[in-house]
Amino acid sequence: MLARNTQTKALHWLGKQLFNRNDPAAFFDPLLERLDPMLVQAHTPARVEQVIQETADTRTFLLKPAARWQGFQAGQHVNICVDVGGVRRTRTFSLSGSPQLWAQQGLVTLTIKRLPGGLVTNWLHDNLSLGAVIGLGEAFGDFLLPEPPQPVLFIAGGSGITPVLSQLEAMAAQDFRVPVTLLYFVRTQQDVIAAERLRALANCYSALTLNVIATHENDKPRYLKSQDLASVPDLKARQIFLCGPRGLMDLANELLHQHGVRQKDIHSTFFSVATPALNPDLADQTLGGQVQFEKSNLKASSEGDASLLEIAEASGLTPRHGCRMGICHQCSCRKTSGTVINRLTGQASGPGDENIQLCISIPHGPVAIDV
Amino acid sequence: MKQMTENQLQELAQDLNTIRDEVLADLGEKDARYIRRVIRLHRALEVGGRVMMPFGFIPPVFAAATLSLGLSKIIENMEIGHNVMHGQYDWMNDPTLHSQTYEWDTACSSDSWRRTHNYEHHTYTNIIGKDRDYGYALLRLSDDEKWHPAHSLQFFNYLLLSVFFQWGVGLHELEFERIRSGEIRLRDKIPFLKDALRKGGRQAFKDYMFFPLITLPVAPVVLAGNLSANLIRNLWSSTVIFCGHFTQDAETFNEKDCENESKGHWYLRQLTGSSNFTGNKWVHLLSGHLSYQIEHHVFPDLPAYRYPEISGKVQAVCRKHGIGYNTGSFRHQYGTVVKRILKYSLPDRLRLRLTNQPA
Repeated sequence: MLARNTQTKALHWLGKQLFNRNDPAAFFDPLLERLDPMLVQAHTPARVEQVIQETADTRTFLLKPAARWQGFQAGQHVNICVDVGGVRRTRTFSLSGSPQLWAQQGLVTLTIKRLPGGLVTNWLHDNLSLGAVIGLGEAFGDFLLPEPPQPVLFIAGGSGITPVLSQLEAMAAQDFRVPVTLLYFVRTQQDVIAAERLRALANCYSALTLNVIATHENDKPRYLKSQDLASVPDLKARQIFLCGPRGLMDLANELLHQHGVRQKDIHSTFFSVATPALNPDLADQTLGGQVQFEKSNLKASSEGDASLLEIAEASGLTPRHGCRMGICHQCSCRKTSGTVINRLTGQASGPGDENIQLCISIPHGPVAIDV
Repeated sequence: MKQMTENQLQELAQDLNTIRDEVLADLGEKDARYIRRVIRLHRALEVGGRVMMPFGFIPPVFAAATLSLGLSKIIENMEIGHNVMHGQYDWMNDPTLHSQTYEWDTACSSDSWRRTHNYEHHTYTNIIGKDRDYGYALLRLSDDEKWHPAHSLQFFNYLLLSVFFQWGVGLHELEFERIRSGEIRLRDKIPFLKDALRKGGRQAFKDYMFFPLITLPVAPVVLAGNLSANLIRNLWSSTVIFCGHFTQDAETFNEKDCENESKGHWYLRQLTGSSNFTGNKWVHLLSGHLSYQIEHHVFPDLPAYRYPEISGKVQAVCRKHGIGYNTGSFRHQYGTVVKRILKYSLPDRLRLRLTNQPA
């Protein structure tokens, strides 16, 4: 093992000398890509094997990643990268298939809803057909099932069902003998994603109680309410997983607290960053400030909750970036001075030299970054 | 230099900004496809050259391999490396084509290049004393610099610089002339020297040790081929670069005139201090579109292959403002460069008597 490790290290060093790059294996990509896009080394290529129309605006893409992809746990997400109009775009999606599907057939699934005006989701729907190849990152995220098994309640809304699908199938495959409840909110019954798979799960996995709730089939919208939670047996003993639009997540959090559920038993993941989750006591402080882009010898000032990435782009700079939602760390760079506020956590940074993610950092007074 | 009022300069800046904005708004798929195609061509030429080289004991194969490797280095340095490092493709968000991290296939480290070329040369273009690219602190190319007997041999220095161009560029930041004059200390250049040694060593290791050694029985052939390929690249890139600012009518500036200059004044300096040459599509590709040096200096971060299509508009702006647009055939432009190097190697009195005109 050690010998092999040394050998790979030596090869990597040699590659760096010969090709002047830190990822020497990717040097041949431009040629290999022409022969077979699955040979690309810069990222893990994944080929579209099947496309399933789930609802009018949602599709599931079955992908076969190159064998070196390292697998995932139910509930995790991946970054994918695609070139849209010549620009490399990275986005994060939940893996909606079970780890068993990957282990047995080498397939993973992404279930993607068209977002109105969404650059990448629409592009994927319009361009990603059978045989197309996209780039896949390694799986990450801690929206994971309790180990050992504990009773579980899932509250999912719309396309927030995707990580839950993976988790339910994983639990069914391992025959988790604990009560499992899913409250799934959709606009109308036509908007149920993966209806077939959910029905099959409800049939074969007896521990699962499935409750699909349509919010917009009557005149009055029917959102999550206190009785929904009251009807879940032994609520306080459960691990609770939330995934859905912000409105649902906020409402669920509030109701769960009213029911006496402890914060540490609530796990949530997001699938869109719509508004900054600013800490209330920071929100009324003044955000923004003078930003100094040191490498470019440029200054810009900002007001309000614009992120450093947005400020840099508005100043005509093009820093490297990826997901734009604080996940992929493509935009990480050095802050040399000043304080920033993390858009996701609402936490303020330290004042000194440290690495920050541009896309979720909001200046809090004057800031200098190495861009 | 042409004198323009601040208002005129502002109008000039506006006219040029309009051209720039049009291109920026149009960047997309087409540009990405172009640079990826060039990169594919580079990889094919490099792989082809390296694979053929050991069979170079057959003379035509030697010629093909050397040419292939030489062209690959030219394309990588000129159309890919130089342009990527200017940030021309940063908008693609491709980490392998990012200006701040790209490392090119030549002895000069990219970090050093970004400092001396992108920052110093492109900011202080042709300002004598500030732009160290003007004559590379080796050649006297205008009478802003006093004649010294050593200048009489400068054509020989020029030839040497061309032959060893990658090493000259690699050591440019050492500022040897300022160390010699005691202006700065060698000690302060130690970090730079370390970096230069690392990168230069890497290049030498690759071309002059590794590839010859793994093909040991034919090592001398491979070594000779790699040396020749580097020589081809050195001669070509130095020639292209000399045609960019040292032609007959390319103007020089003094520091005083450029203090606190406006964007319009900077534009004017770029327009009048640079010179183009004409040629076919391949000449432009192999020169990294520095054949459109004027366009490049005005818009260093627009994808270079766009320069031909905006050249007409830039010329129209020059005509409108009565600014010269310095272009000509490659042969003519290069001829004036050689003449300029020779001319300024002479003592002023002799030069003026011979040319009978002030420069």
